[in-house]
Amino acid sequence: MKKLMAGAVLLAVSSAASAVAPGGPNCGWGNMLFEGKSGTGAHFLASTTNGTSGNNTFGMTSGTNGCSVSGTLTYGGRAMINAMLNEFTEDVAVGQGDTLTAVAVALGVEKEDRAAFAQVTHENFGVLFPNENVTADEVIANLETLMLADARLAKYVA
Amino acid sequence: MHTMRAFVSSLLSLLAMLPAAAWSADDAWAQAQASHLWQRDEWLKLVHYKAGAWAGTWRSDADDPRFFLADTGPQDPRAELAATLAAFAAPAELGDAHAQCRFVARLSWLRSELELGELSQPDCAGYRKFRDLVQATRVVLVFPSYYLNSPSSMFGHTLLRLDSGEADGGSEYLSFAVNFGAIVDPGDNGLFFALKGLTGAYPGQFAVDHYYKKIQEYNHGENRDIWEYPLDLSAPETERLIQHLWELREIEFAYYFFDENCSYRVLELLEVARPGIDLTSAFPLTAIPIDTVRAVQRAGAVQGKHFRAAKGTVLKQRLAALPPELHEVVVELSLSPERLDDDDLQALDPATRAQLIEAAYKYLRYTQTDAARDPAVAQRSFRLLQALRRQAAELPGDDAPVDPDRSPDLSHGSRRLAAGLWTEEEREYLSLGLRLSLHSLQENRAGFPLGAQINLGNVDLRVEDDGRLDLNRLDLIDIVSLSPRDRFFKPLSWAVRTGVERQWTGGREHRVAHVNGGAGASRAPWPGALVYSLATARLEYNHGYADRLQPATGLRGGLLQDLGALTLHWDLGAEKFANGETRVRAELRHNLRLSRHQALHLELLWRDQQPEDTLAVGLRYQYYY
Repeated sequence: MKKLMAGAVLLAVSSAASAVAPGGPNCGWGNMLFEGKSGTGAHFLASTTNGTSGNNTFGMTSGTNGCSVSGTLTYGGRAMINAMLNEFTEDVAVGQGDTLTAVAVALGVEKEDRAAFAQVTHENFGVLFPNENVTADEVIANLETLMLADARLAKYVA
Repeated sequence: MHTMRAFVSSLLSLLAMLPAAAWSADDAWAQAQASHLWQRDEWLKLVHYKAGAWAGTWRSDADDPRFFLADTGPQDPRAELAATLAAFAAPAELGDAHAQCRFVARLSWLRSELELGELSQPDCAGYRKFRDLVQATRVVLVFPSYYLNSPSSMFGHTLLRLDSGEADGGSEYLSFAVNFGAIVDPGDNGLFFALKGLTGAYPGQFAVDHYYKKIQEYNHGENRDIWEYPLDLSAPETERLIQHLWELREIEFAYYFFDENCSYRVLELLEVARPGIDLTSAFPLTAIPIDTVRAVQRAGAVQGKHFRAAKGTVLKQRLAALPPELHEVVVELSLSPERLDDDDLQALDPATRAQLIEAAYKYLRYTQTDAARDPAVAQRSFRLLQALRRQAAELPGDDAPVDPDRSPDLSHGSRRLAAGLWTEEEREYLSLGLRLSLHSLQENRAGFPLGAQINLGNVDLRVEDDGRLDLNRLDLIDIVSLSPRDRFFKPLSWAVRTGVERQWTGGREHRVAHVNGGAGASRAPWPGALVYSLATARLEYNHGYADRLQPATGLRGGLLQDLGALTLHWDLGAEKFANGETRVRAELRHNLRLSRHQALHLELLWRDQQPEDTLAVGLRYQYYY
């Protein structure tokens, strides 16, 4: 049930959201590490609206956008990692942080295993992020492989 | 009334046992009529009715026919209630389009008030899906703080967050954010945007989306600190709120920047959630976001406070923790991570070295806000991160960012009354002032960033010694944004002001209309101080000139010094008009904080406007509410 928390996302149709919108049948929508934000012009308008995300904001989708989803990390969690890849990478490098916890929660990692999650990812930084051109999808795949190999974390991705 | 209703209910529940579903709506309506149910506050709030100009008339704020079941629903609470009851009895086959599925909060409330009998049972698949997804055990009021560089966001913003399960240290990223905002046409430019925002030409809607997007938008994209105020809503209250959100799905309200804005609609949601609480009546004309936060606090619904620092705030605090002599190295490292191998940096103690790498990485990322991906920068970022990972164990443990300015709910009141005594050129007069919002540079800055001035709607009247009342000055808009530049941050400082003021022209005082703008730079030479200089332009309409409309260019500079209870703001300016006139002025303002909501203000205003110069001295008492 916990995993459902990161379940379907209420998709926002906006300039910001379209940056992470589905990009085709090949699961190609994952942001690359250190991807920039949307342009300043769009950003100014978005900000001046006091933060509307546009219409259809209650419209739901639980689609997988052509990606093979393991069933563990559902669309909401994937979208979050995709959107916060830079922050997640920094948290993994440091070994702690809000994004690290958020990803653990999205994966359904119980509280007592979050320290292990932080430790395993931190120690395997180079496995998760082999180079600066890694995409969010690759990171997620690497993360699942890593967790499968860990006695405490395997149950969350099995 | 109550016994009557109980009687009717019991009568009806007897009747309900009879096998006839067709008349159950009529029965419910009979009960509703008996108790004048449409006059109840809960109903009026659920349909967003506001009292009209004449007693007994109503008008719903919702500008959307889909929100009403009666044709006259927008102005008739009674007809809407009757139509709602009738629609609830419709055949179940309607599914998601059934009124029971569309208006779940109305249904719950009417169920609790009336004996609805046996209703059809449509399959509300859409709502069920929504409800399964949007779980909440806690509701949090969120205030993304002042954003000076965007005029329409500089008052801040409010939204709600719905937390499910234990929401701490990261899991709230996946919480849902409930946000009311205008849906703008991306083609509109800034001016058009402002106009439409003021006149309600934009439709507004509620949106429900993941909170991490708000963190990205405010903390990261716009560099605004966020304050979060957990509320004490009970489980049934939270349930009602979520039900009502579903009813408001895609429903349009006209968006008015000043009153019927994001913060106002959030208050309405809370009023639906907790019947009997009155939050909106305090905001008939304007709803300044921070005032709405305080209204919720006053109503006793806030428990606690959490600070979520903007990226820039975190960076500043990390830089402050480093020895100043390493600041240059932070920049060097961000440009070339190889610098880490140099002997001087190898020799650093491990903790400092770790902090240095972290600061350099954060700085490099900060410079990339809003920038497209640059492969070279990505490579440098990655190298710094790799170095940081190796050194991370040496980082000092407790590095949670702290609130730099005291939280905005602790600021002085948004409105200001002022009474003063002035002497100018052997004349004395009294002044009476009202400012609708919000804060001047020299005022008690607790809860505001230093260097921010946002005044909208400031009127100052003058009472002459013969008792005559006259307009002294009117500031429609008076905004100053002084952000200090240093090695790391290179913001622009700017000022905009328009209104009516008095100017000496040809030996006489004239009331003039004016528009001013300026842009330049600020520095923070020592703690609590800002010095600034701006190049300015002015357009003035002055009866004292042969050619009444006169443009001018000039320079302006000054010092702002925060000394705790006392704040100084010394401002010097010079202007040259197209007709050859020049003006030089010095304004020395001293603001002494007496308490959070009271201050004494001493102002010296010297002006050299040929042929002679004038000196005015004023002492003013200011009360904020």
